[in-house]
Amino acid sequence: MQTTNSDSQRPMLRVENLTHRVSLETDTLTILKAVSLEINRGESVAIVGRSGSGKTTLLGLLAGLDTPTEGTVELDGAIISRLSEDERAQLRAHRVGFVFQSFQLLPALTALENVMLPLELAGMEAPEKRARELLERVGLGERLTHTPRQLSGGEQQRVAIARAFASDPAILFADEPTGNLDNRTGQEISDLLMALNQEQGTTLVMVTHDEQLAARCSRQFHIEAGELTEPVAQVELAH
Amino acid sequence: MAAAKKLMSVRRDWRERDVRVVLAALIIAVATVATIALFASQLQRTLVSSASSFLAADRQLEAENGRPVPEPWITEAMDRGLETGRMVEFSTMVFGSDAFQLVSVKAVSNEYPLRGELEIQGPSEGSRVQVQNGPAPGEVWINPRLLRLLDIQVGDTLEVGSRKLTVSGLVLREPDGGFSLSALAPRVMMHVDDVASTGVLQEGSRVKYVYLFAGEEASLECYYQWLQPQLEPSHEWEGVRDGETFSRSLDRAESFLLLGGSLAVLLAAVAVAVASRQYALSQRDTVALLKTLGLGSSGIGRLYLKRLGLWGVTGMVGGLLVALPLFWILTRLLSEALERPVPFQLDSAALTPALLTAVVSLFAFAYPPIRRLRNVPAMRVLRSQPGETGREALPDMLIAIVAVFGLVWLYAGEVSLVISLLGGLALLLGALGVLGWVLVATLRKVRGGGHAWRLALVGLYRHRRASLSQIAVFAMTLMLATTLILVRTSLLDDWQAQLPDDAPNHFLINIAPDAVDEVAAYWEERGQPLDQLYPMVRGRFTELNGQPVKEVVSKDQRVGALNRELNLTWMPSLPADNVIVEGSWFEEGQTDGVSVEADLAAALDLALGDELTFTIGSDKVNATVTSIRTVQWDSMKPNFYMAFPPGGALTNMPATWITSFHLPRDRKSELNEFSRRFPTVSLLEIDNIIERIQEIVRQVTQAIEAILVLILAAALVVMAAVVSATLQDRQREGALLRTLGGRQSLLVRSTMLEFALLGGFAGILGVAAAEAAVWALQFRMFEGAFSWHWQVVLPIPIISAVVLSLFGRWQLRPVLSVSPMLLLRRLE
Repeated sequence: MQTTNSDSQRPMLRVENLTHRVSLETDTLTILKAVSLEINRGESVAIVGRSGSGKTTLLGLLAGLDTPTEGTVELDGAIISRLSEDERAQLRAHRVGFVFQSFQLLPALTALENVMLPLELAGMEAPEKRARELLERVGLGERLTHTPRQLSGGEQQRVAIARAFASDPAILFADEPTGNLDNRTGQEISDLLMALNQEQGTTLVMVTHDEQLAARCSRQFHIEAGELTEPVAQVELAH
Repeated sequence: MAAAKKLMSVRRDWRERDVRVVLAALIIAVATVATIALFASQLQRTLVSSASSFLAADRQLEAENGRPVPEPWITEAMDRGLETGRMVEFSTMVFGSDAFQLVSVKAVSNEYPLRGELEIQGPSEGSRVQVQNGPAPGEVWINPRLLRLLDIQVGDTLEVGSRKLTVSGLVLREPDGGFSLSALAPRVMMHVDDVASTGVLQEGSRVKYVYLFAGEEASLECYYQWLQPQLEPSHEWEGVRDGETFSRSLDRAESFLLLGGSLAVLLAAVAVAVASRQYALSQRDTVALLKTLGLGSSGIGRLYLKRLGLWGVTGMVGGLLVALPLFWILTRLLSEALERPVPFQLDSAALTPALLTAVVSLFAFAYPPIRRLRNVPAMRVLRSQPGETGREALPDMLIAIVAVFGLVWLYAGEVSLVISLLGGLALLLGALGVLGWVLVATLRKVRGGGHAWRLALVGLYRHRRASLSQIAVFAMTLMLATTLILVRTSLLDDWQAQLPDDAPNHFLINIAPDAVDEVAAYWEERGQPLDQLYPMVRGRFTELNGQPVKEVVSKDQRVGALNRELNLTWMPSLPADNVIVEGSWFEEGQTDGVSVEADLAAALDLALGDELTFTIGSDKVNATVTSIRTVQWDSMKPNFYMAFPPGGALTNMPATWITSFHLPRDRKSELNEFSRRFPTVSLLEIDNIIERIQEIVRQVTQAIEAILVLILAAALVVMAAVVSATLQDRQREGALLRTLGGRQSLLVRSTMLEFALLGGFAGILGVAAAEAAVWALQFRMFEGAFSWHWQVVLPIPIISAVVLSLFGRWQLRPVLSVSPMLLLRRLE
C-alpha cells in the first residue's frame, strides 16, 4: 500500500487534468474533459449534473473502479493509475465505502452477511459484532436474517449504508443514493447518510441530480458535457 | 469468514438454476460413465469366465499326436502354482447288454473341470445336479441317448474294451462341450485312471491328450512363455479368446457400452459448458461488487476455483451414489441369466474414467468462462458494461474439444470412434453455417404483425445468434442421442438376425453320401427341414506355392488351422451370410479354384492367385485362391475355411455330409428315433448353449436399455441448460408483449411455434449428422453393414419439435400466471 496518512493536511482526493475517452466503432467519444478538483478530509461534496453529463464516469474514476485515459487521481495519497488492479482493490477494501442507486446487495446473503462481507474481505476482527452494531444503528436490528428480497427499497439502502460504513472508510462514494426511492424514504436515507457521515468523520463524495440532497453537502460541483464548473460556495448559492 | 464461506457453499449454489444444471450434468456423467465402466468390466469377467468354462479351464494344451506331453511340463505348471487337470479323448465301441455303439470317450482326472460345472442326472430319475468332478474310478457317465441305443439303465454295466464299468449317471452338459466337431459320437465319460485297464489305447491309436490349466492370469502367461519354445506343431495352446464363438455378441455389447459412455462424456461436457457459461454471465454483477468491496482478481479466482472444486466433489460423490446401486441392479440382472454368475466385484480401476470425466469437463468447459470472471470490470457496479462477444471463448472451446475427445479416446480406446463423432460434429456445424445463412437471408424479409407464425419467424430472426447457438447445441445433443439409438437398434437387429428363435440348434454330421436324401426327407416329413447340406472332406493344408506351409509361414503366424485337419467343402453358391471381399465367386461350370476365409487368409498372408496344396489321406489336391470371403462363425450353421466349386478337385474324395437344423426343445425325444434309424449319423446338440447365449443377450439388452435411458436423461439436462439460458430474456419479452396489449393466446402460439421451428431444424441436422457418424462407426466398430433406419430417424425431428415447443410453453408459465407489472418488477 502506498498510502501514507502521516500528513493529515494533504487533501483526501486530488484530481488533475482528468480526461476520459471511450472508443466507439466509428469515432472516439470524450466523456470527461480536463477535470481538476481537490477534496479535503471530512468534506462532503456533491457532483450534480444531468443524465449523460459524465458524473457516474467521474465517480468511477475517483473511486478507482476504472482508470482514466489521461490525468491523475490521487486518493488518500495513492496515485490510482499507478496501482495494479489488486492494489486498487486493497485500497478500496481498507479506505473506501460505496452506496449505489440500485443498492447492489448480494441476494443470497442475509442483511447481516451483506454487511459482514467487506469486513471479512478486509480481514477485520469480529466482523459479526461490528455488522450487528451498524445494522442496529441504521434501524434494522430486527431484520438481521432477512435477505434483500424480503426488504423494501428503503430498507435495502439502509443495509447498503451500514455496509458502506462497516469497514470504517476514509472516504465514501455515493451514486444517486436516493435515486430509486420515493421522496419520503429518500429523505430518511439522506438523513441517515449525512448523520453517519458526521459521526464517523468520513469524506463524502456523492453524485446526484437531487438538488435538495446536493444542497446538504458542504461543496457542490456541476458537471455538464464532461466539463466540471468551478465549485460554488454554499453561502453564495443560498443567495 | 461466515459470509464469504456462505458465498461458496454448495447448498447455496444449489438454489441457482445454472449450478443445478452443472451439478446434474456432472452427476449424470459420472453415474453413466461409472455404471458403464463397472458393468463393462463385469461383462468382461463374465465373458472370460464363460469362455473359461467352455474350456473347463483357463487354458488348454492339446496334444493331437497321440502321445502324452512330457511329465516335466505338468510338474513345472504345478511348481508355478497353477491348477492342472488331464483328459484323454478317443473314440471306441462300447457294449451294452446286447448292443454296441461307437462312442466318444472322455476320460478325466479328479481335478476336471477346473472351471465351470458338469450337469448330470443321478441314478434315481432325480433332478439335474451340477457337479464339479467327473465320475469316480470304476464308473461311467453317459449321454442319455445311449440308454436307448444300448438298451441299458442307469446302474447297469457297460463294457469299454476289456473293462466293465458301472453307469452311475447321465451327462446332460459338459462345461467344455462347446462346438468342437470332434465330439461326433455320443459321450461316455470315465475316470482317466481306468483307461489303461480297458486296453483300448494301443500304439498309433487316434487319441487326444488334453491338459487343463487354471490360475492367475500372470502365472498362466509366464508359464506359456516358458512352455512355448518346447511346443511342437501338433501341440495346441488354447486360451479363452481363441475358442470364441459366442464372445463376439458380448464383445459388441461391450463396444456399445463404451460408445454409450463416450456419448455420456460428450453430452455432459456440452451441458457443463452451456450451464457454466450461463452461470459465469450471471455472476458478473457479484464479481463486480466483490471487486468494489476490495477483493482482488486473484481472490476472485480462488473463490471460484474453490467453488468448482466443490462442484467436482459433489458431482463425483453424487454420481457414484447413483452408479453403485444401478451397477448392482444390472449385475443382478446379468447374474440371473447366467448359470454360473461371476461374483459382484467393484473394479476400482473402472471408476477412473468416470472421475476423470468430472475433472475434465469441469476444467475444460466450466473453468474458462469462470476464469474470465476475473476480468469483469469493477465499474460494472455503476454502469453495465459490454459483455463477452464469444470471440474470447473460442480458443478455450478448441482446447476443451481436444480435451474431451482425448478423454473419449482414452476411455474407449478407439480412434475410429473419435474420428466418426468428430466427423459427424464437423458436418453438423457446416450444415448449421448454411442454415444460419439461409435463416438470415429469408427471415429478414418477414415483417412482424398480429399473426403467430409471423411473430415466431420474426422471433427467430431477431434472436438469430441465440437461435443458431441453440440449434447447434440441440442438434449436437440429438446427434449423440440418435447415434446411440441407431447403434442400439442395429445391434439388437443384428443379434436377433444372428440368433433368431428358430436358429439351428442341432448339427447332423457324418451323413454318408447315399443317406443324404433319406436324412433330408426324414426331417422334411416331420416339418423341420434341414438347412443346406454340405459335403465335408478332411484334409490338411500342407503346401503354399509349392513350399511346405510350415516353412513358409513364420511361427508367429501359425494358427490352429495349420495344426489340424481342416474341413474342406464344395458348394454351388455362396452362403447368404458369407461376403466376398476379394476376387469373385466361382462361375457356373467353373471347376478350379478355392475360396478362402478372410481371417485365415489375413493370418497366413494368402493372396489371390496363391497355389494351395491340401493333403487328403494319401492324395494331394492343388487349388488356386480365386476369392476371399468373410464367414459368420456364430451363425450356428456349418462354416468352412476352404470352399471349392462343385465338380472340382474335391469331388472324388471320400466325403461325408454335414448340416444343421432347428428342433424345438419339446421334440428332443424324436432324436432317439432318428438315431436308431440312422445309427451312423452323428448328432451334435448345441441347444443348451444357444439358449444360454440368447438369455445373456436378453439381459445385456436390458442393460443397454438402462444405459440408453441414462444417456437420454443427460440429453434432457443439456436441453434444460440451453432453454434456461434464455429464460429471463424471454420472460421479459413476454411480459412486455402482454403489457403492450398482446393477447395470451398469441404469445403462447408464437412462442411454441418458434421453439417448434428450433426443435425441427435441430432434429433434422442432428439426425443427418448421426446417420453420418453411425455410417462411419458401423464399418469400424461394429463390423456390420450400414443400413438406413428411417423408422427410427424420421420421428426424431418431429419429437424434438414437439418437446421443444412444450418446453417453450412451460417457460412461459410465469409470464402468463402473474400480472405483467409484477413480472417486470421481479425481472429487474
